[in-house]
Amino acid sequence: MQATDDGVTTMRFAAMAGEAELTVAGRAPDRRLLDAAAAEVRRIEQAYSRYRADSIVSRINAAAGSGVAIEVDAETAGLLDFAARLHAQSDGLFDITSGILRRGWDFRSGRLPEPSALAALCARIGWRKVDWQPAARRIALTEPGMELDFGGFGKEYAADRAAAVLQAGGIGSGYVNLGGDLRVLGPRPDGRGWALGIRHPRTDGTLAGVELKSGALATSGDYERYMDIAGRRYCHILDPRSGWPVQHWQSVSVIAPVCLAAGALSTVAMLKGPDAPAFLAAQQVPWLAVDGSGAIVRHGF
Amino acid sequence: MPAAPVSPNPASDWCGSVVLAALSLPGLLAAPLPAAADSAPEHALLQFKTEHYQDSQPGFQRIRVEEPALYGLLPLGEHLSLSGSAVYDVVSGASPRSYSSTSGASRVHEKRFSGDAELTWYADRSSYGLSAARSQEHDYISNSVSGDAVFAADDNNTACNVGLSASRDSINPTNDIVENEHRTTYAGIAGVTRALSANDLLQVQAGYSTSHGYLSDPYKLFDNRPRRRNSGTGSLRWNHHIGGLGATLRSSYRVFHDTYGIWSHTAELQWVQPVSLRWVLTPGLRYYTQSAARFYVDPPADGSPFPQLPDGAFSSLDHRLSAFGAFALSQKAEWHLSEHWSTDLRAEYYQARSSFRFIGQGSPGLANFQYYQVQFGISYRF
Repeated sequence: MQATDDGVTTMRFAAMAGEAELTVAGRAPDRRLLDAAAAEVRRIEQAYSRYRADSIVSRINAAAGSGVAIEVDAETAGLLDFAARLHAQSDGLFDITSGILRRGWDFRSGRLPEPSALAALCARIGWRKVDWQPAARRIALTEPGMELDFGGFGKEYAADRAAAVLQAGGIGSGYVNLGGDLRVLGPRPDGRGWALGIRHPRTDGTLAGVELKSGALATSGDYERYMDIAGRRYCHILDPRSGWPVQHWQSVSVIAPVCLAAGALSTVAMLKGPDAPAFLAAQQVPWLAVDGSGAIVRHGF
Repeated sequence: MPAAPVSPNPASDWCGSVVLAALSLPGLLAAPLPAAADSAPEHALLQFKTEHYQDSQPGFQRIRVEEPALYGLLPLGEHLSLSGSAVYDVVSGASPRSYSSTSGASRVHEKRFSGDAELTWYADRSSYGLSAARSQEHDYISNSVSGDAVFAADDNNTACNVGLSASRDSINPTNDIVENEHRTTYAGIAGVTRALSANDLLQVQAGYSTSHGYLSDPYKLFDNRPRRRNSGTGSLRWNHHIGGLGATLRSSYRVFHDTYGIWSHTAELQWVQPVSLRWVLTPGLRYYTQSAARFYVDPPADGSPFPQLPDGAFSSLDHRLSAFGAFALSQKAEWHLSEHWSTDLRAEYYQARSSFRFIGQGSPGLANFQYYQVQFGISYRF
């Protein structure tokens, strides 16, 4: 934790496979409050981790195809409802059963997967094959080998929850940054917004700046995990229908009231390809995207 | 490398379906969504308010009230809070006149003490409050108890509230017109509040109240009101946040009807405008109109001293039971001095005239009535 002269305190820690930053301003920082916000991030990381056998996600996945429905807690049920609505509203592009595709793609290998291997993985994808009973809060993956993966919005949800912990503790100025997904707590003490940069998808520099007093900013890009083969970029954002990476946009940034919405919309926009502007217009959010040629397209930004 | 020097306001006009789906998840917005049941307060609050009230009729300075009030809120652990307030009124001046002439207004100088305490229990999606109150004047004592509960739906977008109260008053007027009289009132209220979008909040409420006992004004001549009065109210509130301005428009409408035959309608608009981080200005406009009680009698216009009334008939010359309309203009300024201290100043000007009425009839000659009210408050949060 470090405090600067202008009353801004920043705490950094590693979480969600990246760097997390909590920045608060305008009042004497309470170390316990920042610790509580960091603990909330870690709690979500552990609760929805595929790598922990005791996590709710692991238990659901372990029961895939067994006919046994797993009962989930209210928080998980809320996230599953959100996933179901997002699946419907993205015409099936946002599918939390598509995480299994990562088994077909090894971005360090420099080799493209066999089409037959991708086809086999795609056969196991499908939110429609998930038996989710919201009223009973029970979920069953109906086919063996199916997997749920909350990685598509876990980080954004954690940013919102950490912000909620800080706000509930009386912090009205600052932001939470989880690996580039940002949620603003409130304006600077002098009323100005926080100047937030958007990373250039091809350089280490900043592409654009935006000043936010509240709300959230999230960016999805083809530069997080990728490989370039024969002049083409193959990134980690994979189309659940084909199993192949998206190609149309280098990155999409979205501003929304909460990070969960901003992150989900930016990911769906990447998957929508050329249809992204119409989709984002219907969602009535400001957005900025970089197309395949590096040109900026934006609306409301 | 082009830059986008823009400052979109993230609170404006978001009603995209994905955004709404995300907002419906509990716990993402720390400021509890407005429709949700309150969560237990985490800070204690001590508040002092003082009010100055002066009413007048043409050529008259009438009742003047200085009203200091103290309010305290103390969180007791995670789920419980205790709050209490005490008000000490000093009322001086002439009692409200029903006649438009200037003679014979009796001077009053009264003191009133009132206090209340409320215990609130906060559960996961609901809160429950129990309170007791007492108000005491030398000729009037009122004791009351009430309970209320708020329940939030799972999506936090809808909340229901219910409340019940009972009060028992003892009346011993100094003019001995009656002795040891009582008045008992039971009231209930129920409402639903729903967040229609991130920017719109709608509330519908209905209330019912029944009183029996001595309901007349012992200090008014010819005041003989029925010993039972039942009334119902319905209200509709709509708060709309305008993101581009950071402002909130609060609008409300209320209808009232009772077994005395009075109908009334109230419409109110308030504009809550933050002008900086520390200042919030709230101008307001209210319109009120009511019809007269069935037994209301206008002061005689022909100059005769008393109205002609059959023996035992219900009657009242209280102008508050006549048909009239009123406008009120108000302005409130809040100044948040620091994280702990805040202060506010509110002024209201009110004018009632029989000609302002939109419903009802009669009482064309009744004198206008007006007041101004200034409230100052300071609170400390810790």
